[in-house]
This record gives sequence, C-alpha cells and structure tokens, in this order.
Amino acid sequence: MSKKSRRRGPSPSGGAQATPAVQAPPAPVVAPEPEPEPAPPARVLIDVTPEPVSEAALRELMRDWRRGRATRHLWDMIQDGYVAVLATVMIGAMLVSVVVRAQGAVSACTSDSCQSSRTLLPWAALCGVLALTLMVSRIFGPVVASAAEGFWLMEAPIKRARILWGRLVAVMVGAIAIAAVFGGLIAALSGSSWAGVVNWAVAAGLGAGGLTALAAEEQTADRTWVMRTLQWLVGLVGLTALLTVVAVASGWLANAGWFAASENRFDLVVSVAGGVLLVGAGMLAIARLDEIRRARLVSGGSLVAGMQGAMYAMDMSLMRDILVERDAVARGHVRPTKGHGTGLAALVYRDAQRLVRFPKQLILLLLSVVVPYAVGALGLGVLSPVISGLVLLTAIVPLLGMMRVLSRTGGLARSFPFTTAQVRTATMVVPAIAALVWVAAVTPAFAGLGTGTAHLSWTDAAIHAMVTGLAGLLGAVRWVTAKPPDYNKPMMQMGGFGAMPPGMIGNLIKGVDIVALVSLPLLFGWSYWISVIIAGISFFILRGSVNMTDMAAAQEEQKHQLEAAKAEASAGKKKIPPPKR
Amino acid sequence: MAKQRTPVLKVTKLSKAYGAHPIVSDFNLEVWPGDAIALTGRNGAGKSTILRCLVGADKPNSGTIEICGNRLRESDPAIRRDLATVIDDLDFFPDLSVVEHLDLLARAHGLPDAEEAVDEVLHEVQLVAQSGQLPGTLSSGQRRRLALATAFVRPRKLLILDEPEQRLDVEGVEWLATRLRAEREAGLAIVMASHEPRLVDAVSTRTIRVGA
Repeated sequence: MSKKSRRRGPSPSGGAQATPAVQAPPAPVVAPEPEPEPAPPARVLIDVTPEPVSEAALRELMRDWRRGRATRHLWDMIQDGYVAVLATVMIGAMLVSVVVRAQGAVSACTSDSCQSSRTLLPWAALCGVLALTLMVSRIFGPVVASAAEGFWLMEAPIKRARILWGRLVAVMVGAIAIAAVFGGLIAALSGSSWAGVVNWAVAAGLGAGGLTALAAEEQTADRTWVMRTLQWLVGLVGLTALLTVVAVASGWLANAGWFAASENRFDLVVSVAGGVLLVGAGMLAIARLDEIRRARLVSGGSLVAGMQGAMYAMDMSLMRDILVERDAVARGHVRPTKGHGTGLAALVYRDAQRLVRFPKQLILLLLSVVVPYAVGALGLGVLSPVISGLVLLTAIVPLLGMMRVLSRTGGLARSFPFTTAQVRTATMVVPAIAALVWVAAVTPAFAGLGTGTAHLSWTDAAIHAMVTGLAGLLGAVRWVTAKPPDYNKPMMQMGGFGAMPPGMIGNLIKGVDIVALVSLPLLFGWSYWISVIIAGISFFILRGSVNMTDMAAAQEEQKHQLEAAKAEASAGKKKIPPPKR
Repeated sequence: MAKQRTPVLKVTKLSKAYGAHPIVSDFNLEVWPGDAIALTGRNGAGKSTILRCLVGADKPNSGTIEICGNRLRESDPAIRRDLATVIDDLDFFPDLSVVEHLDLLARAHGLPDAEEAVDEVLHEVQLVAQSGQLPGTLSSGQRRRLALATAFVRPRKLLILDEPEQRLDVEGVEWLATRLRAEREAGLAIVMASHEPRLVDAVSTRTIRVGA
C-alpha cells in the first residue's frame, strides 16, 4: 500500500489509540474487489442527423492551426535571410539591366535574319510556354490536395469545391504571372518594341491562365486526351516557328510568310482566346470542382510533396526520378523483349531498347538541333557552343536513365559484375551515339548556314560542333551521377543563407559547370584543343576512373599487407643474445 | 565435399558505430561453402548494419572483410561476381519489365542459357503473370519476390539476405526456406538476418544472436 493510501485508509480501530507494545499479527483480510464501473453505452452514430458543416469555418480552422504551429513569421525569415534577399534583388536588377541592353542591341539589327527572328521567336516562346503550362497542369492536376487533406477532409460530407476553389484561383494567377514574365522576356531579347513586349507578355499570361483553367475543367471530367492533343498542336506550331527562323536566316525562305502576315495580331488573338478560356473554363471548373476524384486530387498532392522535398535538397535529379517513375507507373505494362549479347554488351543493348520503347525521350534532342541554327540566326553565333551545350545537356539527360538508376543507389550496381567505370562507359554508349548524330546535324550551323554568311571552315565547324556535343554529353553525365547533398555530414555556415549540408550549392550548378569548362575556351577564342583536353579529363573523372573510395581501400589494403609482412618478419627473426665475457 | 582452403567469407574484428554509439564491436565470422549463418536478435541489435558492412554498402570503423580470399571492395568485379545480395537498397529500372530485369542480370553475368534460367526463376517466384509489368506497378510482396529472383538468376558463391521473409505470404516463406536449404546443400554459403523462426530452423547451420 502506498503512503498516500495509508494516510487515506481508515484506522482499523476506528480512532487514534495508543499502539500496544506487542500486537498479535492481524488476520489477513481479503479486500473485496471494487465493482467495475459500468461502461458507458457505445455511441452508435447511426441515427444522428449531422449538423450542417461550414467549409469556410473548416478552412479558417486549418489556417489557424498552421499559423499556430509556425515557429517564425515571414518577416523573421526575411530578416534572417537578408543576404539572400539582397542577393536576389541585386541579381534581379542585373538581369533587368542585361535584358534592357540586349533589347536595345538586338532591336538595332535590321538584317533579314534578325527581322524574321523578331517576328518568330516570340511565337516559338509563346508556344513553348503554353505547351509547358499544359504539361505541368496535366501532370499535377492542376487542382491538388495533400494526402492528409485527402484522408481527413475530402471524405467528410462537405462541399469540396468550397475548400478547393481558392487554390485553383491561386494556380491560375501563378500561371498567368510566370508565363507573362517569360513571354515578355523572350520578346524583349529578340528585339521587339516595348509595346510588343507588353503584348506578348499579356498573350502568354492570359493564354497560360486560360489553358490552366481548361486543364482544371478537364480534371473534373477525368480526361487527359484533350490536353495531350493541345500540347502536341501547340508544340508543333512552336517548332514550325523555330524552323522558319532558320529557313529565313539560311535564305531558303524569302520571309516569314504566314507568320509575318499575322504580325501584331496573333498576340491579340491569343490574349482574347486566353481571356475567354480563363473566364469560361475557369467558372465551369469551379462549378464542377466537387466532381474531381479524391485519388486524382491526392495523387497530384503527393507529387507536389515529393517535388518539394527534392527541391529543399535542391536535388533536380530526384525531381526527375519522381516524374519518370510516375510516367512508368502510368504506363504500367510493356511487351517484354528478348535481350542480346552477354556482359557489357547486354547492358548496352537494353539501354538502346529502352530508347526504342520510350521514343519521346528523343523529342527534346530533336528539338535541340534547331538551337544552334536559331542562335546563329540571331547573330549570337559566338555564344552558340555555350547555349547549345546547355540545351544539349537537358536533351541528353533523358537518355541517361540507365546510368542514373545505376548511380543513385548501390544495390543494383552491385548486382552487375563490372567496375563503376565499365558500367558508366557502357551506359554512355547510346547517349554518345545520339550526341554524335546531333553533332552531324548541327555542324552546318557552326559553318554559318543559319546566318547566311560563312562563319567557320567546315573542319573547324565540325570540331566546334564536336566540342559542343562533348560539353552537353559530359554535362549530362555529371548531372546524372552527381551525389545529392549529404545531410549526415556536419552542416556548413553559409552567411545569411544559414546552415547548409556540403554539396548543396554545387548541386545547383552540376552539369552546367562541365558545359562551361569545356565550351568557354571556344567562347574566348582559344584553341579548341584546350576544350578537347578539358573534355578528356572530365570524361576520365566522370566515368569513375578515379574512385576515391577504392583508392582509399587499396591504400588500406597495402598498409595491411605491409603490417602483416612486418609481423611475419619479426616473428621469424631470432634474437641474438649479447656476447658474454 | 572437399573443403576449400579459404573461407567464402571471413570477418575479423568488425566494428561499426554511428557517431559515438557503437552498434557492432569486434564481430568475427567465418563462413565456408555449405554454411548458412542466421543472424537473429531484437530490432536495432545491429543485424542489418553487419550485413550492410558485409556487402560494402556501409564502411566499418575497423576490422577486415574478405570474400573468397579477396579483401572486400564494393566495386571490385570479382567480389560482385561472387556475392549476391538482397538488402534494403535494391533499386529497379523504372522502364524495364520484370522479365527484362532478370534477363539483363543473367546475360551480364554471362550465363550461357540465360533465357532458360530466367524462365525457371520466374516460375519459381510466381511472377510469370507479371513478367511484362514495370516494377513501379508491382505490389510490395511482388517486389520482394523480384528482388529475390535477381539473386537466384545469376551465379554466386555467397548469398547475403536481410530479412528475406519480409512481405512474403505463408507459401512464399515456405518456398524460400526450401529454396535456400537446397542452395545450401548444393554448396552455397548463406548469411541472413531473419525474424522468422521457421526459416531460421529450416535453413541455418548456425545461429548467431546479435546484441545478446
């Protein structure tokens, strides 16, 4: 019995009495078991009529919870990250200055190729922005709900539309803002007048907003084919515009034809159509928000959560992995094919087969062929190795899927009886062949075909194209194989940016660094041999020839052998006793 | 069977700590062909850590590991040829089907009758119906079977498994026990961590209780 219960327990004699000197041991008393309290009757909620739920109140409640759990206000964060804020403002100002200067310089160019670029590049940019809007909207939703909301909230007998409409409007506004900035930027860089820049920005913004609204409306109907078809159509128009730029610059076409005829009107058409779509499809989507399946909402939410996680680590490769996995799951089933060869040849064959199976991985590569021609047509041929190399990097990354899987975790690579260098070289074969085809296709651009004037001799053009191809390929290999930031290691203090794991900043420029290293000597007018040597060294390192872990293990092994040899020698050595006198 | 001179696996004074917290200290082990070692023990005792060190996924703080007389180096092709593993870090190609994964592995290891071997294993792990499926669409149990199949479809001298019974149904565990026992009797060396007493009893020649 505890002290407390002893204090509370009644005295067996019923009052304060003198304790006798000797007491007979008390007879054991069995305390009766207390009667268990009757359980309250179970609340069977069958015939309860629920009271009407206020969705607005629920939303307020969630907002209060979020605010209540926040440890810092926005203002605190801005104060803590003032260096980041200042850096953003400074970089933004520099970018605006660069754009204004570029607009002035390019608008002064009056050659045929510049004129056609000015007419057509905003078209291509607009189509690119619209195609991207369609793709992103289709992949994510565009209306999403987190897994928690899907489980706790969407199952409740509430009007989902009242919870979801706010986020749909936010997505549409976001699409309008981002697309407007991008559309206006391209128009400015291609030398359009400031009125033209505003027109193209409005067209891009309203067009993207309208398509987002349409995507939401299609989401309520659980359809995707409309969006896919539109995406292809818009992409084709954009590609045609780019090809026309090249054709005019090369002298194959006298002028921009139909595109030129619709100058200063197409942007208005898109603006009006986008506006109508924005209002019409937007209202329809909001009215039908209740019809979106919960699984569809949560699927987009999970994707957003995964992307956010990867974004916090600045791990773009992981973001791509998530999308690739999602794409594969959507496909689900393939017709199995037989393999060929043994050893590394089997690996190369399967890699080629993957490409045949998912040919859309080649689309970006095909599109990237136009870039050196378009850059030449704009009169920026000197920048072509850098710009084309960066675009080629993004086009080659999808072809390096096998290398990516064999690099990200050790488990699968360990199953293959090859060294890291062998695996990487084998998985580089197919992308290297694709890059070689790209080099052959863009060599005329380096020879000046896109500008109508001879720029380089054919030999030099071929070497420049080859160096650019190497830069793009090796940049892509670096992008795919770079290790993500290691959160197990001690964090580094990064001034106003706070603590960061080592490798985080490097992760942002992975791939770009190799493209710059390889292609910048051409930009500076140095010998291309410098680029070739840098590319050779990069290849040697990137293929895993210099494996620091293996080198450390080999060093340790040698040390171990040396110690064993010493121990053996000392064991076999006989001690010679000192001479006795 | 004539006993070979070098053990398939020799672990000497293996120690591993995470920060200041030691997980494994001075762990020694010798595994010969036909041995099946089962590591048992409570969660967090260090079984998986030992196995991760044995396959080279983690670097021990001290101690040596030799596989068929070669000092363990994860990227050494000789080690990769001799060692088959099923631990928690196995990944799959998102765009290759189940059967293509197995075919690729068999061919990469230079198996002369790759197609036959793949068919046999596919039947055995009961993934024939899923042979054309992409890994992302498999259930967790099917993924486990595929992971086991990747270890059985290729030549090996040492098999290291971390809780291979995980996510398998009752029939699956029985099949696995039969298969592993047959492998052991044929001379394969096995090291596995398991919480399944039936599997441990059926397969192991020696049980080591980790963290006891």
